[in-house]
Amino acid sequence: MNPVIHIVDDDNSFRTAVGRLIASYGFRVAFYESGDQFLTTLPNAEPGCILLDLQLPGLSGAALQERLAETAPLLPIIYLTGAGNIQAGVRAIKAGAEDFLEKPASGETLKEAIDRALLESERRQLEHDRVHALEVLVASLTPREYEVFSLMVRGNRNKQIAYTISTSERTVKAHRHCVMEKLGAKSLAEAVSIAERKGLLDTSPKPERRFDTSP
Amino acid sequence: MYLGANESTSNKIRSRWPVNSATIPGCTSERAYPWDHLHTSTDTVLCSICYYGSVLLGARTFMVRNWKVRSSRLVGISVAFFFLVLPMLAAGPAVSMEIVGRVPRVLILYPYDERIAATTEAGEAVRNRLREGTGGKVDIFSEFLDLTRFPEKAHVEKMAHFLTDKYRNRRPDVVIALSDESASFIATHRDTVAPGARIVTTGLSRSTAENIGLPGDVFGVFNKDDIVKTLEMARSLQPKARHLFIIGGSADLDRAWLATARADLAVLAKNYDTTYLENLTIDEFVERAARFPPDSIVLALTIFKDSTGRNFIPREALRQIAATASAPIYGPYPTYIDHGIVGGNMVTFESLGLAVADLALDAIAGKPIVNVDAAPIYIADARQLKRWGLSESDLPAGTVQWFREKTLWEEHWPAVLTTLAVIAAQGVVIAGLLVERRRRRAAELELRVRLLELVHLNQSATAGALTASIAHELNQPLGAIRSNAEAGEMLLRGETPDLNLIKQILVDIKDDDQRAGDIITRLRGLLKKRSEIDWQEFDLNEVISSAIKILRPEAERRNIIVSSKGAMEELRVRADRVHIQQVILNLATNAMDAMLDVAATERRLVFQTRLTKESKVELSISDTGCGIPCEQLVGIFDPFYTTKPTGTGLGLSIARMIVETYAGKIWADNRPDGGAVIRFNLPLVQSGCVT
Repeated sequence: MNPVIHIVDDDNSFRTAVGRLIASYGFRVAFYESGDQFLTTLPNAEPGCILLDLQLPGLSGAALQERLAETAPLLPIIYLTGAGNIQAGVRAIKAGAEDFLEKPASGETLKEAIDRALLESERRQLEHDRVHALEVLVASLTPREYEVFSLMVRGNRNKQIAYTISTSERTVKAHRHCVMEKLGAKSLAEAVSIAERKGLLDTSPKPERRFDTSP
Repeated sequence: MYLGANESTSNKIRSRWPVNSATIPGCTSERAYPWDHLHTSTDTVLCSICYYGSVLLGARTFMVRNWKVRSSRLVGISVAFFFLVLPMLAAGPAVSMEIVGRVPRVLILYPYDERIAATTEAGEAVRNRLREGTGGKVDIFSEFLDLTRFPEKAHVEKMAHFLTDKYRNRRPDVVIALSDESASFIATHRDTVAPGARIVTTGLSRSTAENIGLPGDVFGVFNKDDIVKTLEMARSLQPKARHLFIIGGSADLDRAWLATARADLAVLAKNYDTTYLENLTIDEFVERAARFPPDSIVLALTIFKDSTGRNFIPREALRQIAATASAPIYGPYPTYIDHGIVGGNMVTFESLGLAVADLALDAIAGKPIVNVDAAPIYIADARQLKRWGLSESDLPAGTVQWFREKTLWEEHWPAVLTTLAVIAAQGVVIAGLLVERRRRRAAELELRVRLLELVHLNQSATAGALTASIAHELNQPLGAIRSNAEAGEMLLRGETPDLNLIKQILVDIKDDDQRAGDIITRLRGLLKKRSEIDWQEFDLNEVISSAIKILRPEAERRNIIVSSKGAMEELRVRADRVHIQQVILNLATNAMDAMLDVAATERRLVFQTRLTKESKVELSISDTGCGIPCEQLVGIFDPFYTTKPTGTGLGLSIARMIVETYAGKIWADNRPDGGAVIRFNLPLVQSGCVT
């Protein structure tokens, strides 16, 4: 599917010009003159990225980024600003921006940044899909099975599990079998891997970095 | 007109007091002497005296100057008789006078009546000196003998008897006889009229005295006719003169005078080409006088008659001659002065009176007395000196000048000195003020230059503060241009380029370029340096919108909403628009700084213009910031007043300086609903008068 580049900039002529350039690379382009307008017409899950001006009337670029982290986490953000400085750049990157460009940026730079962002977008999509699939699998477990699963991946023996959940070892074995079946895991190691990816193994309250960790 | 004149009588009178009646103002025909007509000229003289306000010599002195006694050597003989032995009887001056228990008595004998001013004035001089000399303790009697008109022997005898009777009980101690006639009379009748009295006389010359045979104990103040000294005066005034003319009439007196003069001048005349003008008619005199060589000295004696026998008052004849004369004329009589002569050596009537009074005083005091010669003095007419270009410094020492106009300095020297001092003081003050003015001008100029420099610094600072937003603003069109250009490039690489799109791209590039150009122009306007105020007339609204354009990016960066409202009509003011823009930028950036701590949604900057009733253009800039503490509403325009940690405190003070430079006013206030408002006004330019 042809990705869509969302351009949010209050300067009409600039918006148009950049839109034309990006369109000439073969992308689809959508224009927004303010952050609010972008939020109200929040795009569907089509792949793409956002070209965002830092200074916008009303909702500022940074504020919009914050909101989008929740509402459209799959769309990477490329800042394209005329009033860039180190402080603003660092803050933006820390908040998860894909890139931080200064106006006037050359078409080449822009293209590279967009390409990278689209790759990222794709990756996020895949990751998102995978996590989604796992979640579907995990969600298919009964609560009892989920209990067994979470204890099992932490290396508990059946006996221990049985003791913990106050049941017989046999019952645990049956649940365990069901779990392996439902998750499609052929070995305990696979089950552990699923649990790990699902984040069940995190004992310490580490900040969840779901998207930017390399696979 | 010389009607009814008794020829012999008038001659006699003239011989003694030749022209004195001329000095009687108001003399009428009751005495039909030829010279009676002269009073008009005397009036003129009096007028001139008043006019010149001369104080050198009193008018009185002037009036009595017609003293003349010279001709008595001719005519006096007829009166001279007997008593040649009398001088022997009372030889020596030491006549003892016993004046006990009473004041001394002095009898003044006037030869004519009381209307003859010459003798009257001499008598007055006598009288004054006597009173002065005795401290007022003197009895003075006057008798006007009038013997000239009543010369009959019988009458004279009667007069003698009369006086004898009259003074029987008040015998005079001293008799002062004015003129030879009075002297003869008293010399004859002294034993009856004034037995034992001392007799002094004046108004006659020594030769006359000899001729009439005055007794030896009669002493007098004698005057000497001295034409030589008059010539000497002329010589010193005209050292280069080569010709000498002596004018004399055809009357006996005139001829006698000429003869005397010939004798007296014999020596001096050798130095000159000397001509005696005599036996001429008045017209001939006038005609000759007009042809005198310029290096001539002219001496006027008397002209009682011309060769045709026509009678003249000498000084009137002289006036005619002098009027057209081509050389200066001198004469021996004070009478002649003001009738055309330069001057001469002469005796004044008053001086004779004073001198004879002194003799009388000595006589009263019992002191020995002797004959005295009246001291003739040099008198010159300052106007004539001027007329002939003769130098005052060449006058003989002691010369008295009549009609001399005192110089301003002589007359009013204290006033002149004061005035000069005041003027000098004023000059000093004015010079000082001029210097101060120049220094003030220089200081003002310096101040102006400094102000302009300060404004420029302020401009630069503003530009610096706005750099970020200006750069941002500039990047928009630049970025757009670049993107458009690259897009066009990409399009052209395609197999079927969309030419319409490319066309549109090019149009957009042009527009953005224009936009970038405008931004740069504004920036340059913001930084424009002035070495002189560039006076222009412009619409304040235009400057406001241009300032807003400069400010808007910065305002947007700070989330400040900028709006302007107010008068739509043209608000023409006369000033330097760069300066006025700077005022607006200062006030606006100040307002924006005041809103830093306010919630982003509440930041509003409002420009509002209006036209006041006093024909002033007023701009108010209000913000929604924290406002200004009431006690500092005035102080904020002082230099270095700032509440901002990085502020210089100059923005508002510079704004005030600029506004006041253009005859405006600036003040601050707080808005009732929070925030401050700063207003300034400028005089409206009446555009109506341009059309």
